[in-house]
Amino acid sequence: MSVREMDIKADPSCTTNSLSNYLWSDPPDENKWADCVHCGMCLESCPTYEHTGQEQHSPRGRVHLIKSVAEGKLKVNEMFADPVFQCLDCRACTTACPADVDVGGLIEEARGQVRQAMPLTGWKGTVSKAILEGLFPHPNRLDSLGGLLKFYQKSGLQKAVRKTGLINIMPKHLVEMESIMPEIKESVRKKYKNENVIKAKGESKHEVSFLTGCVMDVMFGDINEATINVLTRNGNDVKIPKNQTCCGALHVHAGDRETGRKLAKQNIEAFQDSEKIIVNAAGCGCMLKEYPELFREEPEWHEKAEEFSKKVEDISKYLYDTGYEKPKAEINKRITYHDACHLAHGQGIRQEPRDLLLNIPGVEMVHMPNSDRCCGSAGVYNITNPEMAGAVLESKMENVPDDVEMISMGNPGCMLQMAIGVQKYGRNQQVVHTVQLLDWAYQKEDEGKEGK
Amino acid sequence: MAVKGLKTKDQHIINLANIVNSPRSILYQKEDLLAYDCDGFTIHKHLPRAVVFPKNTEEVARLVKYCHEHDLPFLARGAGTGLSGGAIPLNGEVIISLVRMKKLLSVDLENRRAVVEPGFVNLKLTNSISDKGYYYAPDPSSQYCCTIGGNVAENAGGAHCLKYGVTTNHILGLEVVMPNGEIIEIGANGIPDAPGYDLLGLLTGSEGTLGIVTKITVRILKNPEAKQTVLAYFDKVADGSQAVSDIISAGIVPAALEMMDKTAIEGVEAAAFPVGHPKDIEAVLLIEVDGISAGIDEQINEILDVCKKRNVREVKVAQDEAERGRWWANRKTGFGAMGAISPDYLVQDGVIPRSKLPIVLERINQISEEYGLRISNIFHAGDGNLHPLVLFDARIPGETEKALAAGSACLQVCADVGGTITGEHGVGIEKREEMRFVFKDEEIIAQTDIREVFNPKNLLNAGKLFPTPGRCVEIKKEMKAASTAAN
Amino acid sequence: MVTADLVNELKMILPEERIGENHELDHPLGNSGKVKVCPETEEEISKLLNYANLNGKTISVVSGGTKRGFGGLSENNDLLLSLENYKGIVEHTVGDMTLTVKPGTSFKELQDYLAKHNQKIALDPAWPEDATIGGIIAANESGPKRLGYGSSRDAVIGLRVVYPDGQVIRAGGKVVKNVAGYDMNKLFIGSMGTLGVLSEVTLKLRPLPKYESLILLSFPEGKSDEMKSFAVKLLDSMLEPVSLELLSPSLSEKLTGEKLYTLVIAFEDVESSVHYQEDMVKKMKPFEAKLEIYKREKAQEFWNAFYKNGPNGARSSSTNETEASLKVGVVNLDVLEIVRESELLRDSHNLVVEAHGGLGHGLCQIHVRGAIGDVESAIKHLRESAEKNNGYAIVKHLPYSLRQKVNVWGDNPSYFFLLQGIKSKIDSNGIMNPRRFVGGI
Repeated sequence: MSVREMDIKADPSCTTNSLSNYLWSDPPDENKWADCVHCGMCLESCPTYEHTGQEQHSPRGRVHLIKSVAEGKLKVNEMFADPVFQCLDCRACTTACPADVDVGGLIEEARGQVRQAMPLTGWKGTVSKAILEGLFPHPNRLDSLGGLLKFYQKSGLQKAVRKTGLINIMPKHLVEMESIMPEIKESVRKKYKNENVIKAKGESKHEVSFLTGCVMDVMFGDINEATINVLTRNGNDVKIPKNQTCCGALHVHAGDRETGRKLAKQNIEAFQDSEKIIVNAAGCGCMLKEYPELFREEPEWHEKAEEFSKKVEDISKYLYDTGYEKPKAEINKRITYHDACHLAHGQGIRQEPRDLLLNIPGVEMVHMPNSDRCCGSAGVYNITNPEMAGAVLESKMENVPDDVEMISMGNPGCMLQMAIGVQKYGRNQQVVHTVQLLDWAYQKEDEGKEGK
Repeated sequence: MAVKGLKTKDQHIINLANIVNSPRSILYQKEDLLAYDCDGFTIHKHLPRAVVFPKNTEEVARLVKYCHEHDLPFLARGAGTGLSGGAIPLNGEVIISLVRMKKLLSVDLENRRAVVEPGFVNLKLTNSISDKGYYYAPDPSSQYCCTIGGNVAENAGGAHCLKYGVTTNHILGLEVVMPNGEIIEIGANGIPDAPGYDLLGLLTGSEGTLGIVTKITVRILKNPEAKQTVLAYFDKVADGSQAVSDIISAGIVPAALEMMDKTAIEGVEAAAFPVGHPKDIEAVLLIEVDGISAGIDEQINEILDVCKKRNVREVKVAQDEAERGRWWANRKTGFGAMGAISPDYLVQDGVIPRSKLPIVLERINQISEEYGLRISNIFHAGDGNLHPLVLFDARIPGETEKALAAGSACLQVCADVGGTITGEHGVGIEKREEMRFVFKDEEIIAQTDIREVFNPKNLLNAGKLFPTPGRCVEIKKEMKAASTAAN
Repeated sequence: MVTADLVNELKMILPEERIGENHELDHPLGNSGKVKVCPETEEEISKLLNYANLNGKTISVVSGGTKRGFGGLSENNDLLLSLENYKGIVEHTVGDMTLTVKPGTSFKELQDYLAKHNQKIALDPAWPEDATIGGIIAANESGPKRLGYGSSRDAVIGLRVVYPDGQVIRAGGKVVKNVAGYDMNKLFIGSMGTLGVLSEVTLKLRPLPKYESLILLSFPEGKSDEMKSFAVKLLDSMLEPVSLELLSPSLSEKLTGEKLYTLVIAFEDVESSVHYQEDMVKKMKPFEAKLEIYKREKAQEFWNAFYKNGPNGARSSSTNETEASLKVGVVNLDVLEIVRESELLRDSHNLVVEAHGGLGHGLCQIHVRGAIGDVESAIKHLRESAEKNNGYAIVKHLPYSLRQKVNVWGDNPSYFFLLQGIKSKIDSNGIMNPRRFVGGI
């Protein structure tokens, strides 16, 4: 890929191809669509094609449209934006493609063009700006929001809202989201803000840096805690670099590549002394690994991004590769595993998390058909495209085996969405992060030892 | 009821939308239609007038009737994975997309049949009955996404049709919307040999020019008890081809017998599913036998013997399902894998008598040199179905034309040795002119005569399958008409 | 035009020795012709048809004559085109396992020849000594082993057909996989010679099995439920029988000596596999059923006798009784009911009835013999049974006189207009086997 990126850098298609209707810098990469032979092997992997049956909502259809704009057959307008933004960015097509066409990359580049050609206006623009630019890049604001949510839950306000029927005037998908909001715990960045290094328990074998994530740390502080526990237990000193920020995935998905680049630069600098960067959110991990994509037109940063992305590792793969202590306590649960898109398709990590689960004594793994099918969360997709997200979720829930007690996965967005699914379809599974289960097994083991 | 929210004044579009009764079941704006300007064959492109998504047979029939009455050209489309351009709207057709008719209607294991709607995906049928030990035999490489309706139209084959036959051997019944909108049922209840001409056989492989299939009864098979897969590497391509003949001559009917040549090996090894084939061999054979467990080892031993006699460098049997899966993934993604060694490729689909394999491969080599383009060969050696892949770069001016000419030359070779121009991809737009390599004018007229019986207005998928009639064909037709009238 | 004039005109276009006045005009099976022509080349066939087409002469086509009683409402057409002398192997490519033959070649002759190369045509029609490959294809004949090997439509890969106007049209080719143009082969297979004359047939071959055996499994009266559940179990197993044919008690008695419903389960494979499957059947066998295994030659003897059963249009009947043969198509397992119904006709209609049917493919053959009225009534009865099961019944053999009364093809299908359209497109003057096929086409 990198060789081709160098080619395009020297020769951006918008300057050589006068027909192209991509008028801004950083346009979709010609070499990415050149590999597509329109064979259609991607069709069935695509959730939006599954639900619409329409080519323009399929991976090869989108690639075809993106190419058509470059060929001057289409303009960057609403009609083009629709299929490009309906994409869940789940990357299942990349897995299905025999020629490894980077559809996800093309979509993000196209979104960048759309957002520059037609900036969001009206309330959508305001909300988007407020959330993407005003909230996610600012950990302290997020923390405040977390605090607010915590207050909402603890104060009885949540009860009141539900009781008074105030909830009935909220849009349906927001109601669904409200109802599954996890209990807000303290974020690890707050908790460890005065520690430079969280030392390994026992002998230190490695040192790793931890990307806490923005949503993850606020909404799922306990998972970050679990991640740190698991890392330190296995001989890792854990650092939480101070200046780290939101990974930018949500911005890049939304076409705001400029903010994406800004955040990327901040992270690249924040982690420049790190040897290994551990991530427990698939979406973030995937984004970090794809930073070089953002800097196709900035050679200097491109190089830094390449270097940076090599250091990024998902927690499950890291544990699998470096070895970890097999827990001895039993967790007697029937568990099924959901492949987060950005773990399975985005990073090719499928077996490693399953291995973690299988190595916990007592765990009975139940196969989930189409386990690598998107759940419909897709970052903020479930907020921006609630109808499609709902349809995708429904298919997903049909695949969740009835008789399991837990659904394990490696991405916070999926966890929220799957929790909505469990609630909405009257199921009773607990939604957990893979690393949490491992942590629980360790804790149980330790409790057992203490008891003796 | 009139559908609201349409942004067009085209009365035909409005009327068609009313038939499918939803603004979401019709596409008519250029941006949406662009995605439908071609199928798996991308050299020709044309915009359709509209794309409609009927939900059931009645809607299909009403749409067709409307087009028939208003002289609107139309065609049916499934997943659009065809490799010969059969679903390309050459005449600005109204595309009737059958992808929303994708239900599995019934499965009758005792009587070994299933009824599906045309948009049902091939592999999903096997997936839905595999837990009971059954499967649907035709397995085109695109089976992951191609529809059974499309398979019927193209008479799709696959790697395992050497033993189990192609689509036509597995179709028991069809519900068809005729080009005038009338609904007929042939092979009612899936009972074979219905009295009358074999319309099932005629419709299967008619590339969507005789009617639109809306319901399909297929035969399903019990999984074989055992399966063994062998990989054999040959230093000389001639030895590999000879081994193919020897295996068949030994009285073995393998479930599949696939071959790849050196260039193809280079491609698959550079792509997404490499298995570590040696780079310096000239041919690899992938051989699969299935059947009763007690007899399999005997057949495998015989295959190993044959390979050894033909100077095989290395031959091995898959040790488990995972290894077998890797070997097949490597083979089945072979076309796409060419992307790894060439920006573009053109796949051909000739068939030759098996015994002509060595000489044909030699001739293809000469063509490659003559045109200065690399040609790799991935093919179903067992039934002589060759897929020469002409590698080229469309960005170099003139190279596309050169590739097309080289592909056509390969087909001429196949025809010359007593073979044919397409074994499973269909004629479509791509090989219309090459039809002349195997059929004389009268034989082509004999076929268009049949089309006239079914599709007299020729509104349904016109311009496919047959060469544009030459002057002499016209004259012959007139003469024929005159002689008929004289009687 | 008197017959002698016709003969004279024909002598202008064909060698004299090919042409003769037909002296067995009043054949009880009909489908004859006033002048018999036995062409020996495709060109002669072409000339003959072209002449007939231009002069409005109707033609009956015959080869082995085994199916002379199969359909047809003409006692005598103008010409009887016999392919009896147009025979022989055109090409056998051993390595390609393909065979091209002329239509008048007898099936047995072909199989005997191929056996020397350890190959065979994977069809098992009745009366292989008399039946010719052309007739088998034209009538779409198949036998019990259809379960394992398919039928004519699965074996034919290429045809040359002389069209009514004398043009030779090729369909398919010499390769086993072919989707160039419409699959025209299918149109002519089973078309009963109404569209043209098959002048060359190319078939794909299979290797002769290295070993074969058959299992006869007989069920006592009243055990039909056990029989059905055994059949279901067998079909649901991974065994690969090439036939699963049910014989009615009277047919079973004739072939095996046991007057019981009998399942004929044939295996053809390498020896170890066949024995393994025999053992499996032994294990699956219901307690009440009686099992016997015929190996190799004995199995072949059984089949030879099996194929020589039922009416044969080529051999004059030894009986004064009326003979009929029906083909009934139903959904696979409904074969049980059809065979049972047939057996009941023996007593209710005082007939000789021999029936068999394939549980894996749904086709039954029922031979009936007795008084003319009873035969007629039995046909009606069987057709009702078939239709009750959503199937069809056609009469494959019936004297000409009775064919005037009984519609041997049954009611026209809803898509009859297509059949008619095809016929009139190809044979616009209606010279080829007129009124031989469905709906009088």
